[in-house]
Amino acid sequence: MSTASPAPAPAPTGAAAPASPAAARAEPGRLARIFLPNRAVDRATAVGLVALWTAAAFIVWLVSPWESLPGPGEVWRAFGALWWEGGMGPEMFTTLKLITHALFLTIVISMVLSYLTVIAFFRPLVAAVSKLRFLGLTGLVFPFTLLTGGGYALKVSMLTFGMTTFFVTAMAEVVMSIPREQFDHMRVLGAGEVRIFWEVVMRGTLDRALDITRQNLAIGWAMITMVEGISRAEGGIGALILNQNKHFHLAEVYAVLIAILVVGLLLDYLMGVVVRVLCPYVSLDRVAR
Amino acid sequence: MTAGGPPTPPSPPSPFLAVAAAAAGAPASALPAPAGEDVLLDVRDVWQKLGGNQILEGVTLQVKDRVRPGQVTGQVVALLGPSGVGKTRLIRLISGLDRPDRGQISGVRAQALPAGSVGVVFQSYPLLRHHTVLGNMMVAGIANGVPREQAKTKAQMLLKRFGLDHRADFFPAKISGGQRQRVAIAQQLMSQKQLLLMDEPFSGLDPAALDDVIKLMIEVAHMDELNTIVVVTHDIRSALIASDTVFMLGRERAADGTITSGARIKHQYDLVAKGLAWRPGIEREPEFRELETEVKEHFRSL
Repeated sequence: MSTASPAPAPAPTGAAAPASPAAARAEPGRLARIFLPNRAVDRATAVGLVALWTAAAFIVWLVSPWESLPGPGEVWRAFGALWWEGGMGPEMFTTLKLITHALFLTIVISMVLSYLTVIAFFRPLVAAVSKLRFLGLTGLVFPFTLLTGGGYALKVSMLTFGMTTFFVTAMAEVVMSIPREQFDHMRVLGAGEVRIFWEVVMRGTLDRALDITRQNLAIGWAMITMVEGISRAEGGIGALILNQNKHFHLAEVYAVLIAILVVGLLLDYLMGVVVRVLCPYVSLDRVAR
Repeated sequence: MTAGGPPTPPSPPSPFLAVAAAAAGAPASALPAPAGEDVLLDVRDVWQKLGGNQILEGVTLQVKDRVRPGQVTGQVVALLGPSGVGKTRLIRLISGLDRPDRGQISGVRAQALPAGSVGVVFQSYPLLRHHTVLGNMMVAGIANGVPREQAKTKAQMLLKRFGLDHRADFFPAKISGGQRQRVAIAQQLMSQKQLLLMDEPFSGLDPAALDDVIKLMIEVAHMDELNTIVVVTHDIRSALIASDTVFMLGRERAADGTITSGARIKHQYDLVAKGLAWRPGIEREPEFRELETEVKEHFRSL
């Protein structure tokens, strides 16, 4: 007896066709994607994740059993007291002025040194400056005090020194790693060495220079409390936090720490905006990669 | 794909050359008159060592002016050779980026070829990523002393001619590989250079893009009688379609296949003499296929 096989079901057509098992495996849902390695998530999901982690951290803080960690309300009140009565605003301004001054000097010195790496004669000097990053700042307080006479000049020079060694290391590496093809390309176009330097070295690495500035701003900002603690006469947020430390005002210490973190994040964001405005091609490069 | 320009009518004078001549202060009509059998590129007994290895060993080749009565005819020369044979090294020497250890390289009327006098389209089409397409074009003009406004006008004209005017304000990261290649070629036309070297222009192209590049190459070559494009490649078929002369760069080998020398020109084909140049659809002709087979045979021994 012959058995008639059932007629095959009509093939699904159009958009209603179910995805193949392989395709279904390749496209996990939004929730699954956030737990799988090497997956991109959309912007809304990314923002949601940040909000989730922030909320989790806040809840941990809220229910924290540790005596040494003042509650959010306590810190908020301490912040208000410091801001309105403790002079936190002017102290923050003093600190911002110090970091801006030091950052400006760092950029000027570091860029000059980094660009000099295109000339073989200066390479050992630049390498030496770069190696100085292994010197601890603490040991340099005495010689720098003798050199500058202390006070504001001491703090600026300490910060500048600290940031310059890291800036030069990163920026010299950027300059040295420019592909030879870029220089050759400009040479065959007929450009002179000065124009090549301007286009390939200076303008061609501007986005990376700004990025390094951004990183060094973060390094400088992290060093600020230590440097301001060396000479407290001019005040500043570092002096403020050390004074609160001395009197075991934990809520005030946390309030200042949070203020330092928030201002640091704001400065970092502003630097990011500067990079995007001055170098709009950077975001395209990232997409291309 | 078509090989060579159409046999008739005569090509119009190149508008690009006219602009370049005007920028240089000379009318197009005042440019050197073409002369048959003029040597446009002369590479004589060139030797080059790299890292202790003899890369080039007595490379000698000559490119002469091809003349077709009533037609502006430039030259497209292919330099064929396997990977690592020293083709790119030779490009660097011809373009003046490096100096040979021994030997001489000269251009039209035995003039030296310093860096900047020869156009080079590198394999990766390097463009300045911080400039737009138009900006990259302008840099090429300004670098050669063309006033800014004039450079802009000429760049816009070239971009239009190369079908890139709608990409003028794009940064290089936002254009395709084929468009990058066209910008890189157009950049070289911003100044008055008659020798253009192209390093592996056919690599990684799909068949349609390959046709476009060959057409563009032939078009650029035939813009002026003295224009010469030297294509360095290992793509035999495309090289034979595009060029009028083929040089094969290779090394001597012992019986067991061991390389025993640096590279030199081992074979030369005059495709004009063979009737295999300047003809559309030449790749379909039996003679073309025979030649392709012969070149492939030689290529294996390079």
